[in-house]
Order: sequence, then C-alpha cells, then structure tokens
Amino acid sequence: MINIAKTPLRKSILTALAALVLPFGAQAAADNAKDMHQLFEDNCASCHGSDHGGFLAPALNSETLKGRSPTALRSLIMTGSFDTLMPPFYGRLTDDQIRGLVSHLQSTPKLANPSWTIDDIKKSIKVYVSDESTLPEKPTYAIDSMDDVIGVAARGKYGRGSGSKAVFINSTTHKQIGEIPTGTAAHIIDYNPANPRWAYIKTDTAEIFKVDLYSMQAVRSVKTGFNGPGLGVSRDGKYIMAGSFVPHNAVILDADTLEPLKTFELEGIDPDGKMVSSDSGMVIGTPFDDIFAIALENAGQVWVVDLKEGFPVTKITDVGRHLHDAFLSHGGRKLMIASYDDSIVAAIDLKERKIIKKLEAGCVPHVGGGSAVEVDGRTLGFGTNFGDCDKTVVSVWDLDKMEVVKQIPVAGGTESPAAHANAPYVAVDIISKDRRARTVQLIDKKSLEVVKTLDVGGHAYFPEYSADGKFLYVSAGYSGDEVVVYDSTSLQKVASVSMESPAGIFSHGRVRYMTRGLSPDEMKGAK
Amino acid sequence: MKLILVTASLLLGLAAISNANAASIYAGQAKAEAVCSQCHGIKNPSAEAPFPPLAGRDADYLKTALKQYRDKTRQSDIMNAIAGSLSDDDISNVATYYARLKP
Ligand code: HEC
Ligand code: HEC
Repeated sequence: MINIAKTPLRKSILTALAALVLPFGAQAAADNAKDMHQLFEDNCASCHGSDHGGFLAPALNSETLKGRSPTALRSLIMTGSFDTLMPPFYGRLTDDQIRGLVSHLQSTPKLANPSWTIDDIKKSIKVYVSDESTLPEKPTYAIDSMDDVIGVAARGKYGRGSGSKAVFINSTTHKQIGEIPTGTAAHIIDYNPANPRWAYIKTDTAEIFKVDLYSMQAVRSVKTGFNGPGLGVSRDGKYIMAGSFVPHNAVILDADTLEPLKTFELEGIDPDGKMVSSDSGMVIGTPFDDIFAIALENAGQVWVVDLKEGFPVTKITDVGRHLHDAFLSHGGRKLMIASYDDSIVAAIDLKERKIIKKLEAGCVPHVGGGSAVEVDGRTLGFGTNFGDCDKTVVSVWDLDKMEVVKQIPVAGGTESPAAHANAPYVAVDIISKDRRARTVQLIDKKSLEVVKTLDVGGHAYFPEYSADGKFLYVSAGYSGDEVVVYDSTSLQKVASVSMESPAGIFSHGRVRYMTRGLSPDEMKGAK
Repeated sequence: MKLILVTASLLLGLAAISNANAASIYAGQAKAEAVCSQCHGIKNPSAEAPFPPLAGRDADYLKTALKQYRDKTRQSDIMNAIAGSLSDDDISNVATYYARLKP
C-alpha cells in the first residue's frame, strides 16, 4: 500500500459532522449487491483496490471494517477524510447510496484475485490516431529541447473525471503546453529514451496511454489490469513493462502498438519461506542492458527479465519483506530497492544478478524514484522514508562502497527526494500529517544538513527539478490546486500552475540522467 | 481553536510578519487548507463536485453566509455543522483569506 499514515482529525468539526448522519435505521438500504459492487467499482476502487484489498487507500472489506460504526463510516464517506486523498462524496452519492455502500463493504470479504488475461489486455487496446505518419514532425509549440518538458499527474479530487489528466509544462517558461485527459487519476509518467516524442502515462486503474508529445494527444491506450502503478520502458524504447496490484501479474507490451507480448504471474517464496501471490512493485528499464527489473512486493523477490526470445526470467530471492520502489546507479548496473517491512534498501547488481548488500534506510523506506549525486568524487544516494516511527531521517549512502554515510534528521516522514547535478540542494517532501505536510526541506549536498524549509501550502509533495536544474517544481497536492515553481538557488517562488490535486512530477530530463541528480553523461558511460 | 492559534503563531514566526491584519490572513489560510478546501478547494472546487467556489468572492458576503449557517437562518446540514464550531474571528479570518485569492 502507498502511504496511508493516519490523520489527526480536526476534532470539533468532525464531531459536529458525525452528528449529521442519522443513526443506521431499520430501513436498511436497498442492498442490491450487484449495484453496490458497481458503485464501488465506479467511485472507490481506483483508490481502495478493485478486490477491496486496498491500493493507495486502506482495504475496505468485512474483515477490515468489522465492528466499525456504520454511522461514523457514512459520515466519513460524506465529508471525506481531511488532509488525505479521501474526497467528500456529499452531493455525488445520495444518502441511500452511501448507506448501501457501507453495508455492502461491511459484508463483502476481500475478493479473490480477479483474472485479466493477455486476451483481455489485447481486446482493451484503443486506437485514437490510426495513422501515426499524419502526426507532426516536430513539436507544435515553442520549446528548445524536449527535455524541458515536465509532466504532472493531476489526480482530480475524486481520482477520476474531468480533473484527472496529465498536464505537460515547459519548464523554462512554466507555461502549460498540453494536457491529456486520463479518465482516472494519472499516477506515473514515463518517457521513451529512444524517441523524445513518446510518453507513457499509467493511471490508478492500470490503463496505459501512449502519448505523442509533439501534438499533445493520446494515440493509443491499453488496460493492463485493475490497479497498480508499475511502469518501465526499455533502453531501446521498444518495450514497456507494466505490473499490477490487482490482479497479481505483469505484462510486457510492444511500446509502439501496446500489443501485449507476454504476461507473468507474480508469485514466489517469500523470505519467510511461504509461497505467496504478490503485488507488483516498481518496474524499471535500465540503460545498462536490454532488461527489465520488477519487484514482487509480497514475495520479496526481484525478477530480471531479458528482452529476448521468450523473455526469460532470473529470480533474485530474499531481497526483503514488502519491496516497493527503486532507483539506479552506476550506469544503471546497480539497483537500489526499498523494503518497507525490514526498513532496508537492498543494493542489487544487475550484471551478476545478485544482492550486493542490504543498507539501513530509516523507517519504512519509500525512495520515490530516489536521487544520486556526485560530491567530492563519491556517488551519494538519497533515500526518503515514511518514518512511521520516531526516527525521521533521510538516509545517505555511498553507492560505490555501499555503506551508510549519514542519516540526516528531517522534520517528518518523507516520500520522494529530488536532486539535480546543477542544483545545490536535495529537496525532500515532508508528509507527516499536520502542518509539516505543507513543507519541503532542502538538504545541502556538501554539508548533508537541512539548510532550509519551504512552506509550499497544500500538501506539498513530489519535488522535481527542471532538466536544466534551474527550477524546483513541487505539487501542492490534496486540497492545494497548484504546482509551485521555485528558483532552485534563491528558493524564491517564481510561478504556479493551477490544476486539480497535482501529485507526481516527471521531468523528461530523467531519460538523460537516469536517476535524478546524476549528470547527463551517466547514460553515455553505460553503453 | 488552539491548533489554529499555534499554527498561526508558528507561521508568523517563520514569515517574521508583525502586522495584525496579516496574522488573520495566515490564520484564515490555515483554516481554509485544513478544513474548507476539502470541499471548496483553495482557488477552485473540483469541477466534479457540487460545492460553490469561495476564492475571490466578496468578503462580507462570505462572512454573512457563514454567520447565517452558524445561527441556522441558512439551512445546509453540512455547513450548519461546520459553521457551528467557528468563532467570529475564524469567520472573519477565513472569509478575508478567500476573498483575497484570485480564482
Ligand atoms: C482518490 C482516492 C479515494 C477515493 C476515490 C475513495 N477513497 Fe476512501 N479513502 C482514501 C484514503 C487515502 C483514505 C485514508 C484516509 C485516512 O487516512 O484518514 C480513505 C479512507 C476511507 C475510509 C475509512 C477507512 C478506515 O479504515 O478508516 C472509508 C470507509 C472509505 N475511504 C470509503 C470510501 C468509499 C465508499 C469510496 C467510494 C464512494 C471511497 N472511499 C473513495 C482515498 C479514496
Ligand atoms: C464537507 C464539505 C464542506 C466543507 C468541509 C465546507 N463546506 Fe462550505 N459548503 C458546502 C456545501 C455543500 C455548501 C452549499 C450549501 C448550501 O446549499 O447552502 C457550502 C456553502 C458554503 C458557503 C456559501 C457559498 C455561497 O455561494 O453562498 C460558504 C461561504 C461556505 N460554504 C464556507 C465554508 C468555509 C469557510 C468552510 C471551512 C471552514 C467550509 N465552507 C467547509 C460544503 C462544505
């Protein structure tokens, strides 16, 4: 699950709101299970998981909601949960529908892993532009380099609808250059390393859109599952790999046509010796080789898939308990992958295909794309962590020697570090659920100390530098409605771009520097 | 509310602003971000939502509306409950904050 830390509630107001809903009466709502299931799928599943098992929001089923007061649940659904992604359904669903949903949720067990086969994937392909030769040969807007494109996943308040889109910005002018409606919340944006015109957007509901950045339109889409953010593009730009939470599978697609080529059932023996079916964690392509690496969250394994006949898999086992996200270093040969439950980051050598070392990583590490910077001849990796314990630190590792250099105390839990070869600070977003969530802290690359705290407003998260390193973009998410742009040296606010519930920010420059903070030459050295 | 006061004074400290009027804007901002934005957004409510926008509206109109919700001369289950726990200062702060924003 992705960050579900508990909220401090705005007590007096919530108590007042709880009184709004009348006690659960005898008139038990018209409980047509099928209708209610549909209502759940259409309004809630993109966050809570199609199988009721939780995704970026908690699991909602008979087990997790056992003994909970239906009245309190109804009032929470009506008003939403303050300072979180849970939106208010007042006025969108009727009182009867909310009652019906509550009783449906409290009586439905977590569903079996639904199937979504290679045929389902194939049939889901939609073509919006059938003849790609009609597309313009260069961008239809003024831009010096496509690396200056920054994409923002605008979730939309309800995680679906007209507010859900990917918004593209020119990061030298801070003006919007295009937007792609995605139906449900955009979650990840990835770029084709071999051809700057193509971007891929993955939604909470596991659709992938192939986007032509030159004309700013989607040309194709495919549904790879029901939920799950995993997405990677191969170094030659020919393949995409996508992994799902629901169902427990992954698929390799042709990056051009989005045709599925092979699916993988994600299961394996976890570090405690149990055979488990597993969510997909990160999926990553690397400039180092024609491979994908994919994390099996629950099985604690990393699979390396060779992009050749039959797509053979090498399984690296016992990596950690509940793996999540990762980043690359050393020309893409070393993979640093976070393991939530044992609070380590495991370093993997993708050439030898084995674990190099497990490094201490604070508390519930979530590296969020990670960062690596070269300082005084050393390559230092930066790792954020949710910090659901007393220890709120950002870990710094020496990626050559694979040892912990420092654990830098920060104001709270963190989710994502941003760095750039030309910017003096590593920015981390504080996510602790109080006013600290409005802030981003800046760590000086040389002294490895927090030197500044920016109050961004909203729930500030997902910092990202522009490709030239001159500007720092931050989402004022949840209830903030804008992306805020700072000068990366003076830290003065220079612009803001309005959109609904902005979340992840993805610079096109990432295809050149592989991991944020490394110099663009990193990619050349890899070949 | 204590939380809001603490937040406001923290913010004051951070921004080193000494004027009383600015203080109320910061308190208003804190309230808006913590509570109202859940439904009304800051600059805009969600295009998908049934909530009226507040940014850039007339401050007196907002204050009157909130007081009416508070004394229930204007009926809305939700807003009656929310305004019921707002003090005169809260109302003035949050209305002033929203009124100054450009939608
Ligand atoms: C945009 C994402 C999103 C959508 C859509 C969404 N939720 Fe939530 N929901 C959340 C998050 C995040 C939380 C956790 C809130 C917290 O930590 O306080 C949550 C919490 C809840 C809880 C409380 C769970 C608990 O264990 O305390 C319930 C009940 C709930 N949601 C019901 C629903 C229902 C019913 C729908 C559809 C009508 C829905 N949610 C749609 C994100 C979402
Ligand atoms: C849980 C959702 C919710 C929250 C939170 C909320 N509101 Fe409202 N608000 C509403 C709804 C619904 C209406 C429309 C009520 C009606 O029909 O009169 C409304 C109406 C209003 C109006 C009247 C606007 C007009 O055009 O006449 C004002 C002013 C207002 N709210 C202020 C606030 C302030 C200030 C806060 C924070 C302290 C707040 N609201 C928090 C749901 C909410």
